[in-house]
Amino acid sequence: MSFITRTRAGFRDLFSRSRVDRDLDDEVAHFIEQAAAANRAKGMSEAEALRAARASLGSATAAKDPARSYGWDVALETLLMDVRYAVRYLAKTPSFTAAAALSLALGIGANTAIFSMVDAMLIRHYPFLRSEEVVSVTPPNGQVFSYPAFDDVRHAQTSLTGFAAFGGITVSMSDAEATDLVPGYIVTGNYFDVLGISPLRGRLISADDDRTPGAHPVAVISQALWKRRYGGTRDIVGKPVRLNGQQYTIIGVTPKGFNGTLTGAARDVYVPMMQQSWMRPPRAGYSGEMNPDLLKSRTNTWLFGLGRLKPGVSVAQATASLQSIMSGMSDFAPRNNTQGSQPATVTRVDDGPPGQRAQLVSVARLLSAIVFIVLLIACANVANLLLARATGRRKEIAMRLALGATRARLVRQLLAESVVLGAIGGALGLGLAWVGIRALQASPPPPGALPVTLDFATDVPVLAFTFALAVSTGIVFGLFPALRASRAELVPALKDQASSASTGRRYMTARNGLVVAQVLLSFVLLVSSGLFIRSLERTRALSPEFDVDKLVTVPLNIQLLRYTRDQGKQFYREVIDRVDALPGVASATLMRWVPLSGAGSIGSLHLEGRGGPENNFHSEGGGFNTTNPAVVSQDIVGLDFFKTMGIALNAGRDFSSADAEGAPPVAIVNEEFAKLHYGSESAVGKRISLSGPNGPWIEIIGVSANSKYTALAEPRARLVYLPAAQNHVNGMTLVVRAKADPRGIAESVGKEVHALDPSLPVAGTRTMGDVVGVSIYAARAGAALVTGFGVLALVLAAVGLYGVLGYTVSRRTREFGLRIALGANAGDVVRQVIGEGVGLVACGVLAGLVLALSLSHLLARFLFDVSTRDALTYVGTPAVLFVVAVIACLMPARRAARVDPVIAMKSD
Amino acid sequence: MPPSTDVISGTLDLLILKALSLEPMHGWGIAQRIEQTSRGVFRVNAGSLFLAFKRLEREGCVKADWRESDNNRRAKYYRITETGRKQLRAEQHDWERRAAAVTRMLAATS
Repeated sequence: MSFITRTRAGFRDLFSRSRVDRDLDDEVAHFIEQAAAANRAKGMSEAEALRAARASLGSATAAKDPARSYGWDVALETLLMDVRYAVRYLAKTPSFTAAAALSLALGIGANTAIFSMVDAMLIRHYPFLRSEEVVSVTPPNGQVFSYPAFDDVRHAQTSLTGFAAFGGITVSMSDAEATDLVPGYIVTGNYFDVLGISPLRGRLISADDDRTPGAHPVAVISQALWKRRYGGTRDIVGKPVRLNGQQYTIIGVTPKGFNGTLTGAARDVYVPMMQQSWMRPPRAGYSGEMNPDLLKSRTNTWLFGLGRLKPGVSVAQATASLQSIMSGMSDFAPRNNTQGSQPATVTRVDDGPPGQRAQLVSVARLLSAIVFIVLLIACANVANLLLARATGRRKEIAMRLALGATRARLVRQLLAESVVLGAIGGALGLGLAWVGIRALQASPPPPGALPVTLDFATDVPVLAFTFALAVSTGIVFGLFPALRASRAELVPALKDQASSASTGRRYMTARNGLVVAQVLLSFVLLVSSGLFIRSLERTRALSPEFDVDKLVTVPLNIQLLRYTRDQGKQFYREVIDRVDALPGVASATLMRWVPLSGAGSIGSLHLEGRGGPENNFHSEGGGFNTTNPAVVSQDIVGLDFFKTMGIALNAGRDFSSADAEGAPPVAIVNEEFAKLHYGSESAVGKRISLSGPNGPWIEIIGVSANSKYTALAEPRARLVYLPAAQNHVNGMTLVVRAKADPRGIAESVGKEVHALDPSLPVAGTRTMGDVVGVSIYAARAGAALVTGFGVLALVLAAVGLYGVLGYTVSRRTREFGLRIALGANAGDVVRQVIGEGVGLVACGVLAGLVLALSLSHLLARFLFDVSTRDALTYVGTPAVLFVVAVIACLMPARRAARVDPVIAMKSD
Repeated sequence: MPPSTDVISGTLDLLILKALSLEPMHGWGIAQRIEQTSRGVFRVNAGSLFLAFKRLEREGCVKADWRESDNNRRAKYYRITETGRKQLRAEQHDWERRAAAVTRMLAATS
């Protein structure tokens, strides 16, 4: 009640300040009048009565002041007055304001852009109900679940209120209008329940949609797909759509921002687990006509586990309980003897996949640290400008102090100026960040280039961050100069004398110190940029070891349409025939794994007469790094593979049409394989088995040159190439070598594929150059970002140096004039000024060298094949800095040299 | 040292409210009443007085009316509100309790 009254009264007074002042004046006047009247009654004369009355009051101002400055409204007004005064002052010195605000804008803008990136990568939580309770469950030994194994765990577990599973799918989505390739999940009926999300439209998949195999042709789509493919139409619920050629009904739409439960490519369609036989096409390595029933197979592991912790159960407790259940199951035994046994893991989904989170956190830390340093350099610039200006304002400040302004009042006034500057810088910075983010959005990373989708948003947390940053930088860079300025020496200042030598020197020391700090910080950033550039160079210098030019890759997703084996063989034959016949095509072939795309497969290897691992396995995916000689990387390739790719055959022969189904099984191995397993012996004619110790035995007919397999920067892979004719899989990629421009040929190739089967989505066509680009995208983006900020830091530091020297020169006009009068020539003066600037830079570089050498090991994890003490970087960076320093010094130095001795001596 | 005429810290509001509880008054009148009733023990500083009026007004304990003074000047008369009376009772009670305690302390002989 009293709070409301007070607030209301404050508002009333706020908007009628003149009435309030008049009222107080009248009240005081009436008081005096009454007092005088009382005095007269006591027998004083008229004049005496009035004087005594006034005296009893003290000074009229002293009587009014406490009442006048009471209340929040008055405090607010004082603040507004400070701000108004600050704005007026800043407007009077436009070049100062522009320089300072621009410096801040660059610093704050960089921070805002990176913050919104970090926000997108790490901070934004999943839109789940109490997302901190949602955990992902990984079985022991880093494995994934088969459906029966998942089902066993679901029934045995006691620490979760619900345990769901999902597996990645890519489906062909078609209707009368279009055919698209859409990534999605196949989910158990309790999946959305466990996550606790509610539909945007219609309903989500429930337990009732997941009872009978094949009986629930329903699908849920994402909000993004709804907007993109259906234009957000209202009648989406109930719409029919063909998924992998089968009729489905869309029953609902997931809420905005829900992209599935793994970071990475956004998922757009969700179907019930019981539909797996259609949604989850035969694995490419599977060669039978029919799908294995994944609901019954324990050897097909493809599901990720997701649970919600029971109230009061900790992650550690759930881990222990699930570990004790799963460690007893043979499903999760280690795959081979060389693998140690790892326990099951349970992690909060908020933390992301365990390895990835750590990776992202380190990237986020690095970028945040870099932009923070940029901001520090910008702040030093502004502090420097403020110090310079404070010298110019000495007289004004001394005057105000002399007139009775308190030091606190002055500091507040000066701080208001820097906070206003900060706010201007913040607003400009937000604009810069927005432009930067738009530019990034305009050229998004190619799919698969980064482990996360960066969904930038200039949302409330980002705005709050920028605001807090702007205000706090204003206070931080403003406080020191303000404290300095308010300590002005009154007498010399008022006498309009140049400040005493000691004050001047103190100012100069502070300003030189700031410049040295700027150089130091920008040196550290430039060293980082240098290391990143060197690392990128090393990555770029890596050769794929095949001929990348003029190749185009076209994934043929016929497995989605459940081609039979014979249909698949027929299709591949026809595609090759048609494409070969196209003008502009030099040659065409098929391959299972596109090199450098990150994907591949490994399997157990047996050499005839030498034995091999006890258990037999085969695994597809990415991220394999096998040093184990009992494991071999594999690819399945069509005819003309080596010719099309430009990989030489060093021994034996190529696959031919005679190596057909039914003919003796053959393989070609690469040099690395031959060297490791057969040494100086010839590999040709030797036999290997990829299916266990009992064969079938495959004869090695040739040895190819080494080439890169899954990535440019991989340890050399030992490779076995198998002919597609003898190892048919549905899920090959067409690779075409064009005679000229591969982009030109891509479209006509796509048309041929479409002509063969209109319901086949032709998606993901890329030139091999693009594939290589994607594989080094992260290195390139990292180098570009770090270098960009390094250059920004350099420019800010150069501006700082320029400002300080320019100011020095203007203050020392007399000294230079004297020197010139005494016979110094222009060259001497220029050398002196540049010498001073370079001296400052040398101090900064020296300190920076020490700091960079002691910090650079932190960068090691981001660098490829470059020492964090790379000599070239540590020599090149100071060189760049000194060149820039000399350029920054040149203008002030020339100004110093042009000083006219006569004018200079007369001045002051 | 001359005896202090300062109002005991924290009691000015109480004295003003007490004065106003009898009849509406203007500023000088209130100062006079405090001085006279206290038989000159307390003399109110004008600055503190105007500040106290503003504070009491903001808190809703008093309300002001403008009247015409004898010399055709505007005169500000304060009157106590219901909130003010409540406040007065509370503060008076509090004061009596504390003053009694101080008195007891000072009167204690053992």
